Amino acid sequence: MSDHDKDKKMDWRDWIKESDDPAKAHGKPEALDHLTVLDCSYANMAGCFATSTLAEFGAEVIRIEPTGGDPVRSYSPWGLMNKGTGLGYLNEGRNKFHVTLNLQEPEAREIFKKLAKRADVIVETLLPGVMDEWGIGYRQLSVDNPGLIYCAIYSYGQFGPMAACGKADADVVNQVYSGITGITGECPEDPDHPKPSEVPTRQGNWMGWYAGGAWATAAMLAALHHRVNTGKGQFIDVSPAEAFGRCINYGITYYQGFQDIIPRLGNWDPGVFPYTYFRCKDGYAFLAGFSDINWEALCTILNRPDLRAQFPTIFDRLNPNNMGVMYKEIEKWTSAHTYDEIYDAVMAYNKAGGKGVVVPGKISAPIDTMKTENWWDRHSLQKINDPHYGETLIANQAWKMTKSPPRVKWVCRPVGADNEHVYGLKLGLGPKQLATMKKNGLI
Amino acid sequence: MAGENYFKWAESVLDPSKTFDKPEALADIKVVELCTLILGPSLPAIMSEMGATVFKVELPGAGDTMRSLTPFAKFYNEAALGWLKEARNKYHLGIDVHHEEGKELFRDLVKRSDVVVENVRAGTMDRWKIGYRQLKEINPKIIYIALNGFGQWGHYVERPSYDAIAQAESGMASITGFPDKLPLKSGVWLADYFGALMGVVGVMAALAHRDRTGEGQFIEMSQAENMIRAMDWTWMYQHQTGKGRERYGNRDVSICPSDIFACTDNMMGIAAVTEEQFHGLCTAMGMPLLCEDPRFQTHAARLQEENAVALLDIIRSWSAKKSCAEIDKLAQKYGFAAHKVCNGKDHFEDEHLIKRNFTYTVDDPVYGEIVEEGIVPKFSETPGRIKWAGRPVGFDNEYVFRHYLGLSGEKIKELKENNIIGKWVDNPPGRKPPASWDGKSGIRLA
Repeated sequence: MSDHDKDKKMDWRDWIKESDDPAKAHGKPEALDHLTVLDCSYANMAGCFATSTLAEFGAEVIRIEPTGGDPVRSYSPWGLMNKGTGLGYLNEGRNKFHVTLNLQEPEAREIFKKLAKRADVIVETLLPGVMDEWGIGYRQLSVDNPGLIYCAIYSYGQFGPMAACGKADADVVNQVYSGITGITGECPEDPDHPKPSEVPTRQGNWMGWYAGGAWATAAMLAALHHRVNTGKGQFIDVSPAEAFGRCINYGITYYQGFQDIIPRLGNWDPGVFPYTYFRCKDGYAFLAGFSDINWEALCTILNRPDLRAQFPTIFDRLNPNNMGVMYKEIEKWTSAHTYDEIYDAVMAYNKAGGKGVVVPGKISAPIDTMKTENWWDRHSLQKINDPHYGETLIANQAWKMTKSPPRVKWVCRPVGADNEHVYGLKLGLGPKQLATMKKNGLI
Repeated sequence: MAGENYFKWAESVLDPSKTFDKPEALADIKVVELCTLILGPSLPAIMSEMGATVFKVELPGAGDTMRSLTPFAKFYNEAALGWLKEARNKYHLGIDVHHEEGKELFRDLVKRSDVVVENVRAGTMDRWKIGYRQLKEINPKIIYIALNGFGQWGHYVERPSYDAIAQAESGMASITGFPDKLPLKSGVWLADYFGALMGVVGVMAALAHRDRTGEGQFIEMSQAENMIRAMDWTWMYQHQTGKGRERYGNRDVSICPSDIFACTDNMMGIAAVTEEQFHGLCTAMGMPLLCEDPRFQTHAARLQEENAVALLDIIRSWSAKKSCAEIDKLAQKYGFAAHKVCNGKDHFEDEHLIKRNFTYTVDDPVYGEIVEEGIVPKFSETPGRIKWAGRPVGFDNEYVFRHYLGLSGEKIKELKENNIIGKWVDNPPGRKPPASWDGKSGIRLA
C-alpha cells in the first residue's frame, strides 16, 4: 500500500494527530519568519500579546524598551518577580529579542529610523501622535518604507472626538468601555441594598488587552496579504475597547430595537436557557437544553416530562419569569449527584442516539486545569526550561497546524539582553559604539 | 502631546466616510462556511468585514440554530439579534450536504475557494467525504480550519462543547467574579467570539504561508485551549508558587491601582498603569503627597496586599463623592485611565464610536436599518465595512449557483425539486424574510 492510500484509510483522529501534533512543530517551517517587527509597546499588554502571536509564528520581533525596561515588567500578582520580571510580561516575552532604546533622545530616534527602514511591521501603544511628534510615526517612516505596516493601539484610537482626550489606556478601562463589564456579574438580590459583589464585573484576566492584541494581529496579517498583492503597506488604528466590544452578543441593536439594555443575569443567558452552571454534590456542572429537541433530551435525562410540557417553546424558556423555576427544578437533580454521575448519565444518553444532545461540562479551578492530562497531551500547557528564568509554565496558542505551526522557542529575556546581537546584526554596531550609546543614555 | 496636525492627518487617512472609495484587504479570498451557532460562523463574519467573499452553507428550511438566538426571544424585524452579529456580508445558501449531490455542490464551492471553516464534531466532515483529506485532493491550496471545544484528537475528542464549557474547563470562569460568589461566566459568548477572532489570526498566518509557498493546510482550534492561552499570568504564577489563582473581584492584583469604583451616578473603571499616571491620579485626587508615601511610592510597594487595599480604599472614598463626568475630566487633564461602565445605550449614542464606525448603521434591503457593533481595526488603505446585515435561509442560492458555479436555470430548478437546495421555512422564527419585505429587495439577479 502506498503512503497515499494508507493516509486515506487511517482513522481521522490518528491521521490528523500525526499531521498536526505540536510535538512535531519544531521540524516544520514558520509562517512569518520573513518578517521583522519592531514592538514599541509601552505599559500595554495588548501590544505585547499582538507581537507574541507574530513571534510564535516565526517573525523576528525586536522588542524596544526604555532603558529602565517597560513598566509592564512590573505587572505581577502582589508584585511577585522572577529575576526582576513580573509574571504578566514573562508570559508575553516569548521568542522576542529584547533591546533598549531611549526614544526620548533625538539621537535614539535616528537609530530607530534606521531599524524602521528595513522593518515590515511596527506596533506601538503610546498616546496618539507621540511617535509622530518624535518624527518616527507612520507619516515619516512610510516615506522611506512604503511597504511598512504600522499598527497603533490605544483605547480611544487615532481619530474621533475622544482620540486627543489624553486619558491612559488600561485593561480595566478597555473592559468597562467595551460594554461587556456592564452585562457581566450578579444581579442584586435586593435592588435597594446591592452587595459589593453584585456589581458590573470585569473578566478576571486582561481580556480587554488580549482582545485588542488579537484584533491588531488579525488586522496586520490582513494588511500583509494586501501588501503581497499590491506592495503597499498601511496605517492601522486598533482600540482594545472596541476590540473587546466586538465580542458583544447584542447590545447596540437591542437598544435600537427595544430602547432597553441587556441586564446582568449572573450565569444565566438572556438568549439561551437553560444554559448555565448548576450546583452538584462536588462542585458545579454545566448543562444546557435550549432548542426544543435538546430541551426534550434534558427533560428525558432528568426524567421530568412535566418540565418539558410546562415550558414547551423557546418563548417559554426565555421568559425571565420562568428561568428561576426551571433552574431550581434542574438543580434538584444535579445537587443529588456528583459531577461524574451527571457526566456519565448525559453522555450515556447522547451515545444511545436518542433525540437531541445535552452537553455536560464542569467548572475547573485553574489549579485543577493544570492537573488535567488532556492539556498536557495536547501541548496546550508546556513547561519551558528557560536559560535565564529557569523552569516556567506557559500556555501555547491553540492552533495546531499541519504545515506552519506556531511554537515557543524561549520565554523571555532581561531588559536589553539582545542589544549586542540586534544592533550588531541590523546596524553593524560593535561594543565600542554600544558603550558610547550607553554613556549617552540611549541604551 | 501631539499637535492638531496629527489628528487631522490621522482622520484624513482613516476617514470612514471614504471607506467605499478604497479596496478591501481580502477581496481575493473566498470562504466556504459549514458552521452553526457562534464559534464557527463568527470567523468568516470577521473575514468578510475585511473583504472576503463568504458562502454560508446551511441546511434548507430551519438552517442554523443561531437564527433562534435572541435575548428574551425578542426578534427585531424578525431577525434574531445574536444571529445578526455574524450574518453580515455573507451569501446565505441552503444546501443539504447529507445528499451526495449536495456534497458535490459543496465541493464545487471549495474548488473555487481559499478557505473552509467548519465547526461540526471532530471527524464528521471526513466521514461525510468533505473533510480536509478529501478537499485537499481537489484543492491543494485550501486552508481548512476546524473549530470546536476540545480539538480533533485527545482525551476529550468525543465531548461536545459550548462556549460556557470552554470558559468553565479552562479556569476562566473560576478567575472571574467575586470570592464570595460563584465562578462567573462572561456576560457574552467570550470563548466563541474570542475563539473565532483567534481563528482568523490562524487562517491569516496560514494565508501568509500560502502566499509564500502556494501550500494550503489544516488548522484545528479548540476554544477551551484558546481560553487557556488568554489567561495571562495564571500558569506562570501557579507553577512558581504552587498556589491556585482565585477570584479577586474587580480589583487587579497585578496592577495597582486598577479597579471599578462607585461614583455618585454610575460605576467607573479607574487605573494608573505607570508611575506618571499614578502621580497624575494622586494630583487629581488632591493628594499629590500620596505618591511619596512609602506604601505607594513604587509599583512593587503598591502591589503588596495591605498597601493595595489601603490605596483602593482611598480612591473609593474619593470617587464616591464625584460624578463619572467629573472624574473623566480629571483623567483627561492628568492622564490616568478612567471610563464609566458602558451599556448598549451608551454605545448607540457615543459620538466617538459612531464616528469610528464601531457603532455602525447598515441600511439593509431585507431587514431595514440595523445599528450594530461594527468595525474594529481602521485601515488607511483597506478599511473594513459591512455591506448587508444578513439574509434568510437559502436567499442567495440562485445568484451564487449561477454566478460562481455556472449552473443553468434548469439545473438549479432540478436541484430545488430534488430538495438538494432550498430556502427558508416559516417556523421557527428567524428564517424567513420579515413581513415588511417587498418580495424583491436584496435579490441579486441570477
